[in-house]
Amino acid sequence: MEQRRVFAQVLTVETVIASVVFLLVLTALLYSLIRRRAGAGVGPSPRSERPRLEVSYLAALVVIAAGLVVYTASANDWMHPGGDAQAAGRGGGKAAPVEVDVTAFQWCWKFTHPAPGAHQAARSGHGPDARPAADAHHAAEAHHAADGGHGSGGAHGQRSDGARAATTTANCRDGRLPTLVVPTGRTVRINLTSLDVIHSLWVPALRYKMDAFPDHTNSFTFTVDKEGRWIGRCAEFCGDRHHAMEFWLKAVSPEEYDDWVSQHQQDGPTGGAAA
Amino acid sequence: MTLAPDPPADSPPQAAQPTGASRPVRPASWLGWLTTTDHKRVGLLTMATAMVLFFLMGVLALLMRSQLAQPGQNFFGSSMYNQMFSIHGSGMIYMVMTPFAIGLGVYLVPLQIGAPAVAMPRATLFGYWLYALGAVLMLSGFAMPTGAHADGWFSYPPMASSTYSPGDGTPLWIVGVFMATVGALLMGWAVLWTALRKRARGMTMLRMPVFTWSMIAATLMVIGAFPSLLAALVMLAVGRADPTVFDSNAWNIGYQHLFWFYGHPVVYVMFFPYLGAVGEVLAVFSRRRFFGYKGTVISLLVFAALSMSVWGHHMFATGQATNDYYSLTSIALLVPAGIEYFALVGTVLGGRLVFRTPMLFALAFIPQFLIGGLTGIMVGTPALDYHVTDSYFIVAHLHYVLFAGSAFGLFAALYFWFPKVTGLMLDERLGRVHFTLMVIGTNLTFLPMFGLGYLGMPRRVATYPEWAGFGLLNLLASIGAGFLAAAMIAFALNLQQAFRRRVPAPADPWQGNSLEWAAPSPPPRYNFTTTHPLPPLTSNAPLLDARMRQGRHRAPHRTPNGERA
Ligand code: HEM
Ligand SMILES: [Cu+2]
Repeated sequence: MEQRRVFAQVLTVETVIASVVFLLVLTALLYSLIRRRAGAGVGPSPRSERPRLEVSYLAALVVIAAGLVVYTASANDWMHPGGDAQAAGRGGGKAAPVEVDVTAFQWCWKFTHPAPGAHQAARSGHGPDARPAADAHHAAEAHHAADGGHGSGGAHGQRSDGARAATTTANCRDGRLPTLVVPTGRTVRINLTSLDVIHSLWVPALRYKMDAFPDHTNSFTFTVDKEGRWIGRCAEFCGDRHHAMEFWLKAVSPEEYDDWVSQHQQDGPTGGAAA
Repeated sequence: MTLAPDPPADSPPQAAQPTGASRPVRPASWLGWLTTTDHKRVGLLTMATAMVLFFLMGVLALLMRSQLAQPGQNFFGSSMYNQMFSIHGSGMIYMVMTPFAIGLGVYLVPLQIGAPAVAMPRATLFGYWLYALGAVLMLSGFAMPTGAHADGWFSYPPMASSTYSPGDGTPLWIVGVFMATVGALLMGWAVLWTALRKRARGMTMLRMPVFTWSMIAATLMVIGAFPSLLAALVMLAVGRADPTVFDSNAWNIGYQHLFWFYGHPVVYVMFFPYLGAVGEVLAVFSRRRFFGYKGTVISLLVFAALSMSVWGHHMFATGQATNDYYSLTSIALLVPAGIEYFALVGTVLGGRLVFRTPMLFALAFIPQFLIGGLTGIMVGTPALDYHVTDSYFIVAHLHYVLFAGSAFGLFAALYFWFPKVTGLMLDERLGRVHFTLMVIGTNLTFLPMFGLGYLGMPRRVATYPEWAGFGLLNLLASIGAGFLAAAMIAFALNLQQAFRRRVPAPADPWQGNSLEWAAPSPPPRYNFTTTHPLPPLTSNAPLLDARMRQGRHRAPHRTPNGERA
């Protein structure tokens, strides 16, 4: 939960700065309201400029702005451990992250967990990355969807050559929300795309969101350090059921996660969990 | 068509021409208004139209707040709710705050620089027509079977394409917004050209009032940024004819770039003129010259230039923008903004404050807009924006800027210049009621929304479930909206009373600083007359200079409108 930690720190810093500025201005105003009101018997100041003061103030502003820029740019860096290379799947070193392909559609989500190894196969061109019918024109670009199915309103197809990926989806109606299951302690990489309009995947507890575009895949990584279940929402307006486009993020222990994946590889796609 | 004078009384009736085609238009008739080339009338038409729309868009806001007051409510249905937030947002931005700002400039800039007229009067009038017709077109979407436009004020494709938003609402929105934007461009050019080329002899650039300077900065942004919106709208129109355009990510993300290249500068177009107005009001009711004039002028221009480089901060979560760059330029804006605040606060700190209604609104502008500005730094920080973007935090931020800030500036301007424009005084007591209710309502409505966004409530949701825990803060916000409704009723009552009681306003009811207060109230066709000539143009506050010169010969602290000294 790197994002959450960094968010809290930056928010604290900026809130403190903002409060100091706000209180300074408020104090100056209140002072004027009392001491400078017409009834207080002071005349207006004839000075309409204080060049020296203005220049030193300008310098102070520049220093503050520069400090903020450096600090917040570093914070952005901390939020993305491993940098863009990691998010795009080129990161070397540490254990390969757990990948989940997320497909947003009007108006729900589909989460596909490729079986370990399947993803690499898909990447190197042997995997079945072609997608049928409605989005055939996207097929030229290699998508990570190891599962050929896609759905609107919760429909989902089955791959013909055996269930190698574990998939969850639902229709986000009557409390049937899909669940994004991830292991704790391991880096999770989300590959995010959309079948129709722009959506945005937001898990408020993670303090992070990323837009889902059609004809484009965005990736980001995160780590969850404790087990639990959190709500996720669509944050980009996407039509009539935008308000109901929710899902659960569920973190389980790595062992449980592996069990879950292998079980669902057999079962095929599963439906939603009640709210 | 130009304004012809009334025919002399003894001219023969033109019975020979049954069409009446050559009958002159009486200036006081409605046709006389719609064909006027008097900058004051064009400005007034623009502001009055914007004011009517302000009330209408406010009604939409109240309806939305009633639905959101409690969890699980959906009496309008989400399709209707989506139309309401879309038209409310589009209306407030394209049809209220932008045109009102420019209309204020059309009215005031010629007066403030001692000119008899605006440059390009016919183009200015044409701009008004385009704007008014554009507003009607956009609103007429509600009369269509499929309803009005329902994809928000920035209408991202592919959602706005004919595949996902079928029906007539979106095309009407595209055409309406296009027309209003061309109108704003024409009027913006006219104002800029007036300020640059039509100044009275002796009115140097550095003798122009702060408001006129703020209009120069704003219209420079209009000219630099508004064409980009036109391009984006053309792209949407093409995409509605052939939706496969938006199968390609390049066009979807390209639209966002084009849109925000307009969309960010427009925020300052809706801010600078009101900031300028607040500056004038603060100086006049502090009984002094505006403090830090030169610094403010420079910072306005720097601000305008920088504003063209920050647009990508609306796209931090797209994964397709260079976030650190846009964050740098956005945070850099705090430098010119800080200079402007220094000037505002400095003016008050050294003043001798008189608390009339315009001053109250101007004073409240300072801390309230500051909340919008400080949270602006937060949303300009990618590490914070990933969480809060597209949430109610943004709704809170944008309303603090546009409502708690600009709209308070708008009311400061309105109460300040109403006597000049109409020749009638507004009621001070009702003004205070309006002000008090506005302050309570604004903060009660929009402060809780920061919390809602932090807790995870996305923007543009028609309803939310009870278990989400958003109920209490939403209820507070809706109660605040009730106060705002009451405030607007007090304001409407004040207007109505002013026209009924008709308390005449003198040329200079407030001891103003700038030239418009030397003209009669309301100013005649060509502004300055032999009985009300231009005073010597000695500085950016010529009337203040004149009073000081006189004051050396007379007893101090005697003021015409009986204010306690
Ligand atoms: C100067 C006045 C105002 C301006 C310029 C303004 C502007 C906007 C804009 C640009 C939006 C975003 C629309 C979109 O997402 O496409 C919006 C949404 C909204 N505004 Fe305003 N507004 C103003 C006054 C008000 C007032 C007085 C209220 C409350 C009484 C209000 C309540 C709302 C609500 C409830 C939403 C919808 C939020 C959502 O569903 O995401 N607005 N406004
Ligand atoms: Cu969505």
